[in-house]
Amino acid sequence: MLRLTNNFRTLYIAGDILNSNPHLLNSQSVRWRKPRWVPKAKSKIFRVPPRLVLPEDERIELMRLNANYKTQMKSIRKYLFDKYSNLNATEADPETQRKEFEEDFARCMEINNKWNDEQRVLREKRVAEELEAELDFARKAVELKTEKQIEQLETVEEIVRREKELSKSYILPENIDAAIEHALANPVDYNFAVNLNGEKVTGFEKEDKDKQRASVIQ
Amino acid sequence: MPYKYIGRTTDFKGKTLWEILGNLKNFGVGRIVARGMFERYPEPSYIKVLKVETLATPETVTPDDVRKVRVWVERTFRGKAFPNPIILESASYKADYKLIPKDEEEAYCRTTVKEEAKVYPKSFDFPPLMKELILRDIRAEGGNTKEELKLEIVYNKASKRTKYRIAEDGEKPNVEIVMGFGKPASPSLYEGIKL
Repeated sequence: MLRLTNNFRTLYIAGDILNSNPHLLNSQSVRWRKPRWVPKAKSKIFRVPPRLVLPEDERIELMRLNANYKTQMKSIRKYLFDKYSNLNATEADPETQRKEFEEDFARCMEINNKWNDEQRVLREKRVAEELEAELDFARKAVELKTEKQIEQLETVEEIVRREKELSKSYILPENIDAAIEHALANPVDYNFAVNLNGEKVTGFEKEDKDKQRASVIQ
Repeated sequence: MPYKYIGRTTDFKGKTLWEILGNLKNFGVGRIVARGMFERYPEPSYIKVLKVETLATPETVTPDDVRKVRVWVERTFRGKAFPNPIILESASYKADYKLIPKDEEEAYCRTTVKEEAKVYPKSFDFPPLMKELILRDIRAEGGNTKEELKLEIVYNKASKRTKYRIAEDGEKPNVEIVMGFGKPASPSLYEGIKL
């Protein structure tokens, strides 16, 4: 029903055109087929159309006719193309063409040069700015590096000074005998306790050894 | 249970190229493979495998692309060997290849049909009305209308290399091509009709 009304509408519009334009007297705009954007009918979704099977003699005759038609049309098309492209080529005067081309080229060059000049001013400014920025960056980098080097040097100096201080108490071949004697003369007992008065109480190690010896003898 | 095929039928008959080569020793290098579609011609058409390369998974996976493989082959089409090896990749997914067994290779590749070299005419007549128009133009320009008008024929460039050549000046072609309806290939279709 919808389709029918649609078609009536089409016919109605066509009628309007017909009334206004006598050349379209015989034209009739009725589209019975579905438009492209309407999906496939539900009843047709799973339909598999049968393959076309042509008898052999018909097949070869159709092939011959198609091949003939294509050859003839190609030949005619090429002939006409060559003929009219040649005609057009001869119509134009090469001298005028060259002159036109040169004028056009000169005009283009003028515009191009103008653009180039504008661009050159911009480019030079930009390049100068970029150079200045790079120089700044480099100067800052040098400064930073120098500061860091000085800092490092100071740290090293500090280490050397400390080591020199310490080296006074080093045991060397010259004073090794004195050091040994000093060590033997002053035995250090780390196994000590601290009493309530804050005094060191030593002598534990000796007692332990005596006890051990006693247990071995028993 | 037997297979039951649904949907549209196809003219292809066989396997994809990878289905064949992937199962062969050394990927079938040196073997002969034929396309089912080319068996319609009387002359033999086949390919000889030279080198096989697999392909990476394509960016957009489609049923065709995932079945493709790159194969260097020596192609013989309708009994004529191509001068250089070709790369077969875009058509390798078609399930239309068949492997020729080794003992049948020689018989399959033998060219039995000996065809005389076809010589095609260089030109034919103009269509009648067009001819009249051209003659009128020539007359209007005061040219010579006695000269015979001939339209140069445009042939397919690709098959010209292998299938035929065009008659030189003065040579007689052995194939007839005419402007117009021509001679029917199956006269039985036109019985009782005046051509």
